Amino acid sequence: MSAEGFDELIHQSTRLSIVALLAAADWMDFAFIRDELGLSESALSKQLSTLEAAGYVAIERLLSNHRRRVHVKLTQQGQEAFQAHVRALREIVATAGDATPA
Amino acid sequence: MEHTITHEEAEAALVTVDRRRRRVVEEIGLPGWYWWGLALGWIAVGVVSDVGPAWAAAAATLIFGAVHANVVPRVASGRHRTQQLSVKAELAGRRTAVVVVLAVAALGLVTVGAGFALYADGARDPSIIASILVATVILLGGPRLLASPWLRERSG
Repeated sequence: MSAEGFDELIHQSTRLSIVALLAAADWMDFAFIRDELGLSESALSKQLSTLEAAGYVAIERLLSNHRRRVHVKLTQQGQEAFQAHVRALREIVATAGDATPA
Repeated sequence: MEHTITHEEAEAALVTVDRRRRRVVEEIGLPGWYWWGLALGWIAVGVVSDVGPAWAAAAATLIFGAVHANVVPRVASGRHRTQQLSVKAELAGRRTAVVVVLAVAALGLVTVGAGFALYADGARDPSIIASILVATVILLGGPRLLASPWLRERSG
């Protein structure tokens, strides 16, 4: 089953978790996402690079109190794609519910 | 390319989305330094009220109020409990700020009431005792108040 707005790039489980976290925040520290999802830095960097290449996330490198921080945020395009994806998931669930025999 | 998934997979994905969103909602709160600053400021005003002249107590109360009024707008939204993320404004809502302001006002009344009660009871330093009691409530209860399921559910 598929629905309009379904985004295969976002749907991959790790990326879905990353985007769902980012959708609730203006920005998020790289370390927060890494710790929440229990990923290695390289694994998270790889997923973020994929999302960044698609234009879904923006990555900002900052120097704060002599510490390097990496802030990640969802772009407008990413926000819209995520919302469309969630709508598509809901539609799939609703359609399946409608099709269930009584 | 068309990707097909079952409705069970779609449901599982929606559960993941909801869980991640709730995790961010859990981050709504005020930074630890705010509660410590509020508690220490409260005690300072209590000490000045008991050991200083009346004008010093009035000045300390005014200064404390002014500093607090300056700090609250920056942190009371609850969106920056830590430096690790900024919760979206629409998720944090205005409830956190309203709860904080009402709680501080209520604690002010409690402090005055407790101070009078202690004074009537013959306590030597009623303002200091009352302010320490309220400061303890602030440190123990402040973070818990904002972590209450009631506030979380309404933010969600």
